[in-house]
Amino acid sequence: MGGDAYTFKFLGLMFNWTNLISGLVIFVLVFCLLYGLSRKLQMKPKGAQNLMEWMIDFTNGIVRGQMPANEAPHYNFMAFVLFVFILIANEFGLIFQFGWGGHELLRSPTADPIITMTLALVIMTLTHFAGVARHGFVGYLKTYCTPYTAMLPINLFEEFSNFLTLGLRLFGNIYAGELLLKLLAQMAFSHGIPTMIVSLPLEVVWQGFSFFIGGVQAYVFVTLTTVYISSKVSTEE
Amino acid sequence: MGAIAAGIAAAGAAIGAGIGNGVVIGSTIEGTARQPELGGSLRGTMFLGVGLVEAMPIISIVIAFLVMNK
Repeated sequence: MGGDAYTFKFLGLMFNWTNLISGLVIFVLVFCLLYGLSRKLQMKPKGAQNLMEWMIDFTNGIVRGQMPANEAPHYNFMAFVLFVFILIANEFGLIFQFGWGGHELLRSPTADPIITMTLALVIMTLTHFAGVARHGFVGYLKTYCTPYTAMLPINLFEEFSNFLTLGLRLFGNIYAGELLLKLLAQMAFSHGIPTMIVSLPLEVVWQGFSFFIGGVQAYVFVTLTTVYISSKVSTEE
Repeated sequence: MGAIAAGIAAAGAAIGAGIGNGVVIGSTIEGTARQPELGGSLRGTMFLGVGLVEAMPIISIVIAFLVMNK
């Protein structure tokens, strides 16, 4: 089932084998999946290419729905990669949970707050970058004072709380799902056959629900990313 | 004490998530009844709304799990 996190110290900083190994496995998995789906491209798509085009169309629709039309194509690719990575990362821990020697080696990397907060930090930095690219540095700082200068603390606090909830929402959903799976498994093995019969359907139902939640959270993360970028990039007319 | 704290946190999370999701999904049902042609778009927005509304109750549940055994 797994154990606790497997950390090691390197040059005075704590690193986490679990995140490194799980992340690496998911990178390789996503790359193989997307590479395999995009071979033998034809004008009239069939099969694998159809699936790939449907996924890209889905994330293009998310971006197109939130951003002004001239800025949207810049962020299509980022939204697609973000969506596929977070989706596969969320669902990975429902299928593979691997521990060895009391340490946890394979699970969803998004079940760790460090990973999700890092993703949120990258996205928020991207929004700042997009805002500065659009308005110039001084112009971007001035947008924090619109419409009144008194709104400055509110705007700053909104920045901070957007970042915090973006990261913690993904972490909370995936971590609570995996933890409840572990608790149900503990309950199943606690008293022999009767508890196993009771908790097996519960575990199946909860796995299905967690699968659904993983997809919803990936969708919400990508949509909020495009909403935050578009709020910095679009000017009120 | 940890178990009581976890129970209170979980109760708050359940009430908050239940009422919040209920309002969002109820509005979606009402909107779909008024304009069925917008059904697909409203459904997508509903999932977005549910994902956003459930952020706070989920964090509360994680806190409940953290203090459960203390």
